[in-house]
Amino acid sequence: MTQVNTTSYKTIKLWKISERDKRPEGYNLKEEDGRYRDPTTVTTLRVPVFRPMDLMVEASPRRIFANAHTYHINSISINSDYETYLSADDLRINLWHLEITDRSFNIVDIKPANMEELTEVITAAEFHPNSCNTFVYSSSKGTIRLCDMRASALCDRHSKLFEEPEDPSNRSFFSEIISSISDVKFSHSGRYMMTRDYLSVKIWDLNMENRPVETYQVHEYLRSKLCSLYENDCIFDKFECCWNGSDSVVMTGSYNNFFRMFDRNTKRDITLEASRENNKPRTVLKPRKVCASGKRKKDEISVDSLDFNKKILHTAWHPKENIIAVATTNNLYIFQDKVN
Amino acid sequence: MEVQKEAQRIMTLSVWKMYHSRMQRGGLRLHRSLQLSLVMRSARELYLSAKVEALEPEVSLLAALPSDPRLHPPREAESTAETPDGEHPSPEPMDTQAPTAEETSACCAPRPAKVSRKRRSSSLSDGGDTGLVPSKKARLEEKEEEEGASSEVADRLQPPPAQAEGAFPNLARVLQRRFSGLLNCSPAAPPTAPPACEAKPACRPADSMLNVLVRAVVAF
Repeated sequence: MTQVNTTSYKTIKLWKISERDKRPEGYNLKEEDGRYRDPTTVTTLRVPVFRPMDLMVEASPRRIFANAHTYHINSISINSDYETYLSADDLRINLWHLEITDRSFNIVDIKPANMEELTEVITAAEFHPNSCNTFVYSSSKGTIRLCDMRASALCDRHSKLFEEPEDPSNRSFFSEIISSISDVKFSHSGRYMMTRDYLSVKIWDLNMENRPVETYQVHEYLRSKLCSLYENDCIFDKFECCWNGSDSVVMTGSYNNFFRMFDRNTKRDITLEASRENNKPRTVLKPRKVCASGKRKKDEISVDSLDFNKKILHTAWHPKENIIAVATTNNLYIFQDKVN
Repeated sequence: MEVQKEAQRIMTLSVWKMYHSRMQRGGLRLHRSLQLSLVMRSARELYLSAKVEALEPEVSLLAALPSDPRLHPPREAESTAETPDGEHPSPEPMDTQAPTAEETSACCAPRPAKVSRKRRSSSLSDGGDTGLVPSKKARLEEKEEEEGASSEVADRLQPPPAQAEGAFPNLARVLQRRFSGLLNCSPAAPPTAPPACEAKPACRPADSMLNVLVRAVVAF
């Protein structure tokens, strides 16, 4: 049995996901299609037996945690104690117990007394994978705060503040909005965390607050297109990111159904495409390249021919195997390492 | 003047987006509204500093009223200048932003530059600005920002007839009239993006809440 938490704007649901591959047959009082039999026609009794059937995956809601959020929920994160979890909206983070649906504790509240003074919102939050008292939350200003729930009931004061000074040469109308962090994920080891902003992925060492230890450009060729991306609203897209099981590779999505992987050890990166037209099942994915400017080589794609409606916002990596899940607008792709 | 045109175009675009974000399912989105107001503010500052450089300085200066999604819709009367944030339209932002702005403007449709030394009120009535300048010059309450961040106004000001919906009722109405055309027509109405970037989904018909919802007022 697996449990999955989902959220939709302001309500959180806990679902039980189960598989069913057999069903009982041979009831005495019911036909196979469920209609009741006339009892007078029953002359013998039999014990119903389980017969195999086509595998069915069922999801059923088990808990509904409602009415604790005023603003849109952006994250939920289950604690390493498997008893509590947090949910975060634009201005507040609440702590829940999985068994208790009518109450939650507010642990972060950044709502100003005067809403006119609002300058940043919470964009993502996550519990530490090993320390059940530690969590982080990111903001629309590109900062990450690490909080310790042992310090106080209301964690308005952070234990650590992670922020990289802005590069003044990159300043534009849109600097502020592209620095907004759309996702934050701890490494499995708990030593690092990764953040995703519009153009890059950054790896932070929890022991160093003043800058990330690694930065990877996801699609730097879009920096000169920010104006158009603002017009078509793509600049507001919230991309996620994920680690592989050994924390050596990170992955995130981009446009044109491309997704990118960065190997932290070899410093190599690769761009792959999730599309049915270009990849038959069981073929090895071909690396793709975007040509930023100048002469376009064969097989390269120019920036202007990228399809910005085809975006990969959600990706996931199996915690132990090299199997990844990549979501395009209407399809879910599962890829795995080539088996020799 | 390309920078100025570009900044103005982005301001107009931001207002359009702000209005439409309120219409979307799920209600007002706080983060999106905040981001739009940040872009709006950057564009406005650039626009104003470009104006200060281009035109002779005038005597009366007035506080600009940015669209502020952080104010709740019922509190329409609030019209204070935006929160102090240590920025003001000095030539400095112009210097650092000009190259970038021109770069960003290069990727959008460039407009012909137009420098005019006519009186401001008439120079402002070129295509893009008519909606942003009230045709009847209302006298607006003086609300200077603490750092002196300000915008310029037309020469002659007249007292407004009544302070109905707040400090800038006439401006709000003019803006409403001007933008209702924008808001009612197809997605192509805001300047079109280059071919690779498709315009966003169709806009929804304006409803009777328009007068409450259009909050972006930029005073000149």
